[in-house]
Amino acid sequence: MSTLDFLFNGFAVAFQWQNIMFAFVGVLIGTAVGVLPGIGPMSGVALLIPVTATLTSGMPTEAAAASSIILLAGVYYGAMYGGSTTSILLNTPGESSSVVTTLDGYQMAKQGRAGAALSIAAIGSFAAGIISLIGLVLLAEPLSKIALKFGPAEYFSLMLLGLCAVSGLAGKSMTKALIMTIFGLLLATIGIDAVSGIARFTYDLPILYSGLEFLTIAVGLFALGEVFKTILERDKEDGAIAKINRILPTKKDLKDSAVPIVRGSLLGFFIGVLPGAGATLASFFSYMTEKKFSKHPEKFGTGVIAGVAGPESANNAASGGAMIPLLTLGIPGSGTTAILMGALIMYNIQPGPLLFEDHPEVAWGLIASMFIGNLMLLVLNMPLVKVFAKIIQTPKKYLLPIIVAISFFGVYAVQYTTFDLYLLLACGVLGYLLAKNDYPLAPLVLALVLGPMIENNMRRALTISNGDFSIFISKPLSLAFIIAAVAWLVVPLLMKLKGRNVIVNDEE
Amino acid sequence: MSKTFDRFTGIAFLLIGLLFVIESRSISKSAYGSSVGPDIFPTVLGIILILLSLRLLFETMKYERAEGKKESVQYVKFLIIFISAAVYATVLEPLGYVISTFIFLLIAFQTMERGKWISSLLIAGAFSFGVYYFFAEFLGGSLPGFPEF
Repeated sequence: MSTLDFLFNGFAVAFQWQNIMFAFVGVLIGTAVGVLPGIGPMSGVALLIPVTATLTSGMPTEAAAASSIILLAGVYYGAMYGGSTTSILLNTPGESSSVVTTLDGYQMAKQGRAGAALSIAAIGSFAAGIISLIGLVLLAEPLSKIALKFGPAEYFSLMLLGLCAVSGLAGKSMTKALIMTIFGLLLATIGIDAVSGIARFTYDLPILYSGLEFLTIAVGLFALGEVFKTILERDKEDGAIAKINRILPTKKDLKDSAVPIVRGSLLGFFIGVLPGAGATLASFFSYMTEKKFSKHPEKFGTGVIAGVAGPESANNAASGGAMIPLLTLGIPGSGTTAILMGALIMYNIQPGPLLFEDHPEVAWGLIASMFIGNLMLLVLNMPLVKVFAKIIQTPKKYLLPIIVAISFFGVYAVQYTTFDLYLLLACGVLGYLLAKNDYPLAPLVLALVLGPMIENNMRRALTISNGDFSIFISKPLSLAFIIAAVAWLVVPLLMKLKGRNVIVNDEE
Repeated sequence: MSKTFDRFTGIAFLLIGLLFVIESRSISKSAYGSSVGPDIFPTVLGIILILLSLRLLFETMKYERAEGKKESVQYVKFLIIFISAAVYATVLEPLGYVISTFIFLLIAFQTMERGKWISSLLIAGAFSFGVYYFFAEFLGGSLPGFPEF
């Protein structure tokens, strides 16, 4: 079957009524998650895993996996849409990927053009979503064909590259990022070893035999960590929300933002494909590019529509691009995709090159549903922008305890142990303390998900080579990955030594 | 960034690294005749973690930063909510989901801001009953709903 046939079948899956519902609920919750400060896409997706698991419990495994991943991915790219709303209306970004949107977006809102900024952000995100999906469709098959030729050595090196890329770009201190990565990998070794069946670091506690649940740790670190932070450091009340008068952009606005949207989408897509460089970096680069290409660069920061259109398209395109390494190689490039991957693994579906052969309905159903989801977002966002702006005003005194309660429910409904609830609370405190002191959390979660796979591939490769470690550098592809991994760590260090500023990727 | 915190974590991760290295030695060496046993991966990682935390400790020696800026941190509110969350975790199974969630939410709401008892009661009640009935009755999930007398 050709790619088009597969895509057609994907649409058949995505158009099943329950999947349309799932996509709708996903993007709706995603937009809300993006608007609400305090919950990012990562904790939003993690919190919804148990809910989707229950919703799909009656279905056959594959259909259930397809439906829930459709919903969870909807939350992911929906959050990218929603993040712009608070940036523009309140000058406080809902997500780190919308930070640059505040520069020109809030200025536009002050001039009474909030509606135009919001709708351009929505249109740009839609265009970006479609462009990145076309890229996904075109690249998915060839990439997974190449990936099928990989042996364990290549996989090990590729995952090493993924981890190095995320650690090299995350946070202010690379030492701290690397510590978090290694710590995550070590936590992943707790439990029964999948290869030999030997219990490691369990101290005869039965609760540890299955290892630490990544869902618990992710929700604790991100959702509870953020809640604790807001409780502890709750400072001033938010400022006034800008008024939205006219929603539709003028013709001039549309003309001015058409090129930035296309440029931002392409840039964002390719940055998203790269592991480690996510939506935050993409929006940042796009803003700088627009400034460079503009005829009036001095006007940026005073409410130029290109400064909203470019970055908002870029961060959405990056979230589409980030699906490529996840689906074709089975290697998540960011914290949120790591959590999506964890969700797929829960359904016993291994993302990777075989995904397109073994579970075409999951892979292509997801891709097709992203088309539909993006369309829904556009339809939802244009008229409902005022409604979503209302969500911002949800009082924190109700929101924060409810997030705690939802986290408890989510973890307990999947794990059924009180132990996981204590672990959740501990991770919350840990997440607050670590994030406050510039220890990036995304590498930890990524390492926790990748850990078992890295170890298994390493041991399989070493078994093939009879324990000879040179197998990782004697295979050309594997060597290339390792060189790239080392470069990812060394180049930023060299640039720092030269006194240049290195742009770092924040949590997303 | 606080220097004391970095020092503390440096030492903590150093100890964690050591713990993993030492504990790995008690894992049996070989699996099914393969030369690479289950102990290698954690041992290597433990060593890397030790080296990295030494580097972190070294880095904390270098930078001198005494930021006098004290943030007003609301420990009391946090502690009340944290402790009630811990109690919530403990009583969730014996007391059931609905009652424990209701009490936890009520305490947390009132801790965040005193007053407005009626809306606190209503939201806490709606959430705890709503989630339980939606999840357990409508979706058929299993949750310990009420205490078993």
